[in-house]
Amino acid sequence: MAGPLAPERVSETSTGEESALDRPWVTVVWDDPVNLMTYVTFVLQELFGYDEATATELMLQVHNEGKAIVSSGPRERMEHDTNRLHAYGLWATYQRDA
Amino acid sequence: MKPFRRKGDQLVARLVDAEADIVNLLLDQLEQLLVADAADSGGDPVLARLLPSGHASDPQLAAEYRDLTEAGLRSGKADDLAMVRATVPPEGGEVRLDAEQARAWLRTTNDLRLAMGTRLGITAETEPPDIDPSGEGTDDENSQLAVYYWLTAVQGSLIDALAAGRGDRR
Repeated sequence: MAGPLAPERVSETSTGEESALDRPWVTVVWDDPVNLMTYVTFVLQELFGYDEATATELMLQVHNEGKAIVSSGPRERMEHDTNRLHAYGLWATYQRDA
Repeated sequence: MKPFRRKGDQLVARLVDAEADIVNLLLDQLEQLLVADAADSGGDPVLARLLPSGHASDPQLAAEYRDLTEAGLRSGKADDLAMVRATVPPEGGEVRLDAEQARAWLRTTNDLRLAMGTRLGITAETEPPDIDPSGEGTDDENSQLAVYYWLTAVQGSLIDALAAGRGDRR
């Protein structure tokens, strides 16, 4: 099975001008036993503007595989994304893309 | 509890007296936790879950992230908590929320569930206790588990009502 691929962000801040070389960081959401599946889907839609199908797919990846990459981009933005996820109580970290 | 439903632009639920008391008690406990000095509560698994590390394996990055974000995260949670407290009917009754208040309820009920879930050692296999939430003669852990699942029902109904509203707008 192919590795996880973060879908394109659709937020208003996306410029579409970043090349793969400029985007070496990712934000990862990890599975935890408390957060409801519907909540994780809702938060991913709310924070990243994903449509319901995309958010549900990412949520299921978290649930079934233990984690999923939910956004990618410059380090500062991944810090910001991680912080926004923490504000909603999701278990998230950021890291350089493997 | 009458679960959250969408009424126009608002989210409406109903709590009985005892439920409002429980919510207020839990809010007080969460508030104390959020103002606790990190040094005094070092190693507390609940605080570690509410204010998680930003990086899984690099301590320096994790420390930088914490310096940058922890104060804001704590104050955001405190603001949410105050907003929830202001919308809980003191003697029970109707809870009526606008979109912003509903987000505060989502995040705060989630923090309460994270705190209780961590203390109770909830796992994916944990089942709701087979008791009435207001039942007498149950042990403390079962009572807390009942409250945890009651909060889950409150938050779940709010998520469903918000998600349904989002679908309607498309």
